[in-house]
Amino acid sequence: MYGHQGKILHVDLSKGKSWTEPIPEEWRKLFVGSRGINAKLLWDYCKDPDITWDDPRNIIIYAPGAVTGTTAPCSGRTSVTTVGCTTGLYLKSNTGGHWGAELKYAGYDHLVVHGESKEPVYINIVDDKVEILSAKDLWGKDIIDTDRLLKEKHGEDSRGLYIGPAGENLVRASSIMCSLYHAAGRGGGAAVMGKKKLKAVNVRGTKPVRVKDPKKFAEIAEEMRENLRVDSGAQGLHEFGTAGSIAAVNEMHAFPGKNWQTGYTDNVYPITGQALNELGYLKRRVACFGCTIGCHRYSEIEKGPNKGIASGGPEYETFGALGNGPGIIDTEGVLILNEICNRLGLDTITAGTVSQWAIESYLRGALTKEDTDGLELDWGKLDEVKKTVEKIAYRDGKLGDLLGDGLKIATDKIGKDSYKWAIMNKKGLEQSNVETRSAKAYALAFAVNPRGNDHLMTETFAEFGSSPEAVELIEKLTGDKKWASSHFTEFRAEIVRWHEDCYEITEALGFCVFTSTAAFGINPDNMARMYGAATGIEMSEEEMMLTGRRVCTLEKAFNVTRGATREHDDLPWRLMNEGADSGPLKGEMNSREELDNALDQYYALHEWDLKTSWPYRKTLEKLGLKEVADHLEKHGLLPKE
Amino acid sequence: MEKLLLIDMDKCTACKQCSLACSLIKEDLFDPQRGRIKILKKEDIALGVQLVCEQCESHPCVASCPNGALSRDEKTGIITVDEKLCTSKGACVDACIYHSIRLHPETKKPMFCDLCGGDPYCVKHCVPGAIQWVDKTDDMVKTKKKLRSARMTMYKEMKKEAA
Repeated sequence: MYGHQGKILHVDLSKGKSWTEPIPEEWRKLFVGSRGINAKLLWDYCKDPDITWDDPRNIIIYAPGAVTGTTAPCSGRTSVTTVGCTTGLYLKSNTGGHWGAELKYAGYDHLVVHGESKEPVYINIVDDKVEILSAKDLWGKDIIDTDRLLKEKHGEDSRGLYIGPAGENLVRASSIMCSLYHAAGRGGGAAVMGKKKLKAVNVRGTKPVRVKDPKKFAEIAEEMRENLRVDSGAQGLHEFGTAGSIAAVNEMHAFPGKNWQTGYTDNVYPITGQALNELGYLKRRVACFGCTIGCHRYSEIEKGPNKGIASGGPEYETFGALGNGPGIIDTEGVLILNEICNRLGLDTITAGTVSQWAIESYLRGALTKEDTDGLELDWGKLDEVKKTVEKIAYRDGKLGDLLGDGLKIATDKIGKDSYKWAIMNKKGLEQSNVETRSAKAYALAFAVNPRGNDHLMTETFAEFGSSPEAVELIEKLTGDKKWASSHFTEFRAEIVRWHEDCYEITEALGFCVFTSTAAFGINPDNMARMYGAATGIEMSEEEMMLTGRRVCTLEKAFNVTRGATREHDDLPWRLMNEGADSGPLKGEMNSREELDNALDQYYALHEWDLKTSWPYRKTLEKLGLKEVADHLEKHGLLPKE
Repeated sequence: MEKLLLIDMDKCTACKQCSLACSLIKEDLFDPQRGRIKILKKEDIALGVQLVCEQCESHPCVASCPNGALSRDEKTGIITVDEKLCTSKGACVDACIYHSIRLHPETKKPMFCDLCGGDPYCVKHCVPGAIQWVDKTDDMVKTKKKLRSARMTMYKEMKKEAA
């Protein structure tokens, strides 16, 4: 087969067996690959709402993209899909690294893990040979040891996905690590693996990937590569990493600090990508498989009392959640916290956000010294944050167990209005570090995101209009380039919906979303052409974008089966009720009224019911999702037209 | 002016575009194992070391072959394999002082970089500029040797650690 390898590998941990099935040809046309086909698989196996995240019938699916393993630039990403543990809703997370390409070379486009093992196990795949092996000696080990032991056993060229102690302990902030420092971090996918007693998936593959028209494919890959080579966004990502934008974000008073009570930090320099380079912490720039940008960092502290601490990152989000958030304006402080998270398998965003909530709760008296196991929490105390993060991974003590459950459960347990400073929305995922009060398309995108409020199901960076390419895109979507500014509320629904579709197809093909929504070298037009050259399945740009809409709608429908309604599409209480602290948009918030207006426009554009937010039958049928409509109708979940 | 391939480990992000490009231009498919250039990736320290035929002056591979299957173009330094004579025993693989030779996964014949006849296809795929096709000035020859020696030192360290 061309583009895809054509095979889905299933492994059932309850029954201890594995089998393969071909990818139906129709799915390649309707859902394309990776995130798209994952959505279809999750729907087919888990649409029954009795299947909660910790039910053995929950599946977890790992999938590289339709063009992963080729010279398509930045196409090495892997989507991981399951019923999420943090929200109980649809969860897609996505990781870079080299694992996805290796799975593809082993001959598979998707790995579906079913069931639950009684004892710790890992899956080892070498081409056609698939084994479920004992992980007795790996259980309890951190990511560094797990990686080392598996490489010793299976070779330096094998590639692994791992969970650390956090995932084993069913911590909501746990992260699936891809090798040592790439992560499918958000939403607690690692806890799903922990519940299944699945420590790792190790892969070695030797089968080539073929494309239908190599010459045409190479031409399109070159076009993409050259677009990205000259793209200022991509160049900035290579030079300074994702954290290169922090100083600029801070200048906009949009860099959240002290649990989102501030937006501007004096002397933010130590927690920027520029500081990593200039102070000598950056050792190497690192690329995911096939990535021509190489935005990832490998950093090391080479001297002083913290000498020897080294890991991948820190990213923008980590400098935010574990730096500016808890007030650690200290390069080495964040390097230390980042290394702990990577080693123990924690999502730095959630680990940081729950830590900030704990600090504020303690300062407000909602948590006592007994609740914090004696820690005197306050802003800017590295040792206390370090201990808090370690406690979370191991659910150690009262504090670790409370925070290990994430903010949704912790705020219920503590009460005392603590939801008012819990930076999550109704769905229950901790928000990533984007100041949505002054970015209105982001605000809408975060509110409607099926997995909770973050930037990783879609991202609307173009609304800032910070490059000519971004302005051009906003002009295309709204008819006028004047709307390329993030404080406008007009046309945000149009901007969000386009980015949802684009983001989805980007992931379905295996591309990094930075290439199409932060840099703009890869776009729906060249993706559609590339998919055709790779697979022989020719689609127009519009048809390709429609596959994205189909998948986003299917993901939405999945949440409908779990009882999600319009009220789940909101934003954190603080951002809806407290104004931004300073800057040109001081006092700006995501008010109920503003959000309601945006939601009305967004649902109307999608042809979803305004009251419930649910898709109509006609909407689903137009997208070829009749069986989804039938299922929803049977359960009384179709709105009246 | 004659040109040479300048390979800088410090700029390599280990993305493997070069190996993939090589497998595409040589065999119309994508397989990093079929790249005449290989990226030895050490994941724990995020390192990639490029290994590729250097068209070197000492070329011990040629002498190592018991069947005389390898020959060298004196002008370009490019090694060619007589597939009829080659018995795939891998003496050349062991002999190469730059650890650059691998046997093809299907044919089991050794693979050598031929610089794509003077327009190396991998170069344009290397956006970070870790592989460059530059004029063969005396300075560049020196730089090439310096960069190569850094790569070989790292290679030895990695192998020592593994053993």
